[in-house]
Amino acid sequence: MTGFAQGLLDALLKDTHLITPQLFLMVTATLMLWPGDLFFHRNEKHKWAPITLVILAVTAALIGRTPDGEGFSRMFRMDGLTRGFQMLCVLGTAATVALSVKLLNGLKQQTVEYYALILFSLSGMLFLCGASDLISMYFSLELMAICIYILVAYLRERSTSVEAGVKYFLLGAFSSGILVYGISLLYGAAGGTTTNLADLNRALALTPTTSNLLVFSGVLMVLMGMAFKVAAVPFHMWSPDAYEGAPTPITMFMATAPKAAALAAFLRVFGAGLHGVSSEWVLPLCYIAGASMILGNVTAVKQESMKRLLAYSSIAHVGYMLLGVLSGDPRAGAQAVWLYMLIYIVMNTGAFAVVIYLQGKGEGERIEDFKGLGRKHPVLAFAMMIFLLSLAGIPPLAGFFGKFYLFKLAIEQGFVTLTTIALLTSAVGAYYYLGVVAQMYFREPDGEPAAPMGATSVFVVTVACALVLVATACGPWLVDWAAKITWV
Amino acid sequence: MVSLNAVLLISFLLFSIGIAGVLIRRNALIILMCVELMLNAANLNFIAFARHNGSVAGQAFALLVMGFAAAEVAVGLALVVALYRRRDTVQVDDINLLKG
Repeated sequence: MTGFAQGLLDALLKDTHLITPQLFLMVTATLMLWPGDLFFHRNEKHKWAPITLVILAVTAALIGRTPDGEGFSRMFRMDGLTRGFQMLCVLGTAATVALSVKLLNGLKQQTVEYYALILFSLSGMLFLCGASDLISMYFSLELMAICIYILVAYLRERSTSVEAGVKYFLLGAFSSGILVYGISLLYGAAGGTTTNLADLNRALALTPTTSNLLVFSGVLMVLMGMAFKVAAVPFHMWSPDAYEGAPTPITMFMATAPKAAALAAFLRVFGAGLHGVSSEWVLPLCYIAGASMILGNVTAVKQESMKRLLAYSSIAHVGYMLLGVLSGDPRAGAQAVWLYMLIYIVMNTGAFAVVIYLQGKGEGERIEDFKGLGRKHPVLAFAMMIFLLSLAGIPPLAGFFGKFYLFKLAIEQGFVTLTTIALLTSAVGAYYYLGVVAQMYFREPDGEPAAPMGATSVFVVTVACALVLVATACGPWLVDWAAKITWV
Repeated sequence: MVSLNAVLLISFLLFSIGIAGVLIRRNALIILMCVELMLNAANLNFIAFARHNGSVAGQAFALLVMGFAAAEVAVGLALVVALYRRRDTVQVDDINLLKG
């Protein structure tokens, strides 16, 4: 028995150097809950935000220092793709924490649990970015998602927040049931010995035609379960409601960090992993990507709530990014998706920072609230215009380069129809983004004076705007740079 | 020994009942139970395949999935309780503040 325990311990400790960032996050988040929280009086819980930011900075440094390698019975793999997407997750999380402070202070809802849950969720994302096995992918996906269910319903005094949490939870649990059933079918179809992606790919490519139904339904169910997590059409029903009901920083969180992690999983499972059975999933994924672009953009046009608009626009952006997953070249696809995600996170952060500022106490998030912002707050309105135009992909802004590389890749791989759809729907996208810009500049403001903006929000907006403009200036070199970062 | 196909059939039935329940029933608690049925169907698959092929990995996965299901139910019930406190209902048709 001691021999067994010793062996287990050795096996676990052997590879811990690959997951130091995650371990660090889990330990610190647990210590924050207890005993850390005892040291802060009820009125000084907001001090957890800067502490969380420090923890995130340390995590980023740890990610940079983690060596490449594969461990835990080949369930976790640290490489350029993992590291690149992990950094994106940390970036999105840091922006969320920075923007949470003022809003939660206003609502008097500062607690340590909020920040601890964000950190636990982030540790799930970091695992997800490197999951090279369907089982580890499933559990890291759920670790990430379960924390977000709670965060969506965080304002439990508010009916919309709780409603959004319940809806997200029920649909998320449903999709995770489908996902794990699909994994169990693939496990069986591949001979019942492994769920490692590389082995699975090899085994499935050799399966006799009799078990094709098993493979097909397994792959399809895994695809459905994962499409739920990135909110791709037709599995997007939860996302507008969850986005609208959640506290706005959490809305931003859902739109950035978990999307980056889930897309990394997409790239690993479909782009690099199961290409041996690509005949089973390419066509369904094409339909999912196309439908996301069309429905996301078209439905966004008639939205009156800014958060819902951004929810539908994020559905459309996921559609574009799935083009990168579809491309038969996993390396180029990953680079293009990574670059798009980086730019998307920065511009989304900026746009949400402005929304959070306008919200003040958490109400009034309609597009009409933007009217006359150009008069009231010229600098803020200019920044918002940059973010929106960049989201629309209007050249020469950064968002355009993200789209350009993705679409170029898709054309090279022969997805001409899909790229045409992407281009046409981008034009529709420009329409509703410009609608908000028109509200800001061509409508008279209401009489109310402009409220002052928190220092962190000013900082976030400035940094995001500067980043978008810098990325615009060096757009042509961006993709080489992405190649260096993602695949050192 | 029970044949693999029989177990797979049972698990498929369980899974179908779970899916049908989620889609048809309107009570949040019953939807939660149906999700558990789906997870257990997957567990049955894992164990059946593992036993059929003489591997233990699937049995370990089933244990892990059970652990996950427990965590999920804990969060799910808490959310449903919070919903009931706010709205005095657990019927999903009645939660319709957000739409569009």
